[in-house]
Amino acid sequence: MKYIKIGCVFLLTYTFTAGYLFDVPALPILNETVRALYLHVPMWFTMIFLLLLSSYHSYMFVSKGEELHESKSYNYAHVGVYFGILGLLTGMFWAKYTWGTYWTNDPKLNGSAIGLLIYFGYFILRSSIEDESKKGKISSVYNVFAFSMLIPLIFILPRLTDSLHPGNGGNPGFNVYDMNSQLRLVFYPAVTGFIFLGLWISDLRLKVLKLK
Amino acid sequence: MINKIFSILQKDLKIEFSKGHLFFSVILYVVSSIYIVYLSFQPSGLFNLEVWVSILWILILFASISSVSKSFFQESQKRNLYYYFIVSPDELIISKLVYNFLFLSGIVLLTFIIFSFLLGDIIISKNFFVVLLILGSFSISNCLTLISAISYQVENNSLIISVLGFPVILPILLLLIRISKISSIDFSWNLIREDIYLLILLNIILLTLTKLLFNYLWRN
Repeated sequence: MKYIKIGCVFLLTYTFTAGYLFDVPALPILNETVRALYLHVPMWFTMIFLLLLSSYHSYMFVSKGEELHESKSYNYAHVGVYFGILGLLTGMFWAKYTWGTYWTNDPKLNGSAIGLLIYFGYFILRSSIEDESKKGKISSVYNVFAFSMLIPLIFILPRLTDSLHPGNGGNPGFNVYDMNSQLRLVFYPAVTGFIFLGLWISDLRLKVLKLK
Repeated sequence: MINKIFSILQKDLKIEFSKGHLFFSVILYVVSSIYIVYLSFQPSGLFNLEVWVSILWILILFASISSVSKSFFQESQKRNLYYYFIVSPDELIISKLVYNFLFLSGIVLLTFIIFSFLLGDIIISKNFFVVLLILGSFSISNCLTLISAISYQVENNSLIISVLGFPVILPILLLLIRISKISSIDFSWNLIREDIYLLILLNIILLTLTKLLFNYLWRN
């Protein structure tokens, strides 16, 4: 955990300085907004990573039955949803300046919004059960089940339809970025840094939960 | 194992046939919602294919949510306890899956017939569409059976099943709507091949998870 914290501070400091100062390729329409890549995309990576951890712990809880796994899975889902909301917000501001609107009918946007709905459903389910032992088991079962439907929603369905979103429907995505080592220089540290930040926040929240 | 599955299934079907109120109440629900759609599109009528298909699938979704949610609730608490001792969770969930599939395909086909009777018959490739409807009811029942088992455990359950069910069923519903939009005028296997494969893949995932997770849920 100690190394994660040190790495997080180091990597995020680097992201926020280098991300604003380094040169970026001048692409039509995108222009300087390509820097949103450093903030927007890592949010989704972190969200998926945390939700994956959450469903892993849910599965461990239903199969092993240790309380710790349950509180961990709830916690990761919670922090993951925060990152998801931030990802939507950063994406919306980026969309305002490149597509000209905050929200369009785009499979990727809809998929992620529905993904958040799934997890709101999980929180509602978890809070609507009174019985402590039942609560963990039922909500964990739903968590695992829902995560399996989140993956096609975010990763598979948008790739099958036309989309404005970079990386889908013939729009340039990582293939173009791959050619540009300038962006990768900041992008990968940013992803790692935000994932570390997510782990750090979840660790703190878990400690608070334990104290309660 | 298969014998036990069949006997639960037989019991469910027998109850359904002798009482029949659940099936007819869902049918009545469907008919009245179709009638609302029919009246709200008067006097011009509904000729847009996309709107037609989307409304049909949305009606099917609502009808199936209300019918699948009954599959566990119609059992009394005592009978579920009795099941707990005589059958394994696998047998119970498989029989419920088969029952829901049969029930839903009946509902879905009837919905399609009544819908095309009232709102105009615009599907041209009918054979494929019927196959798609059956595939759709198979996927919907796979998706909603576990959700209904989950919401059975929660006290105020009628709301919970829609809150939990809608976001989870969306990928399947989107795929179904897309396949039916593409193939309802002119059926071509090449255009929908990927979507069908994806739908089958999702069904495999859903079935595996349902069987796996119901074990844990049932032990409560």
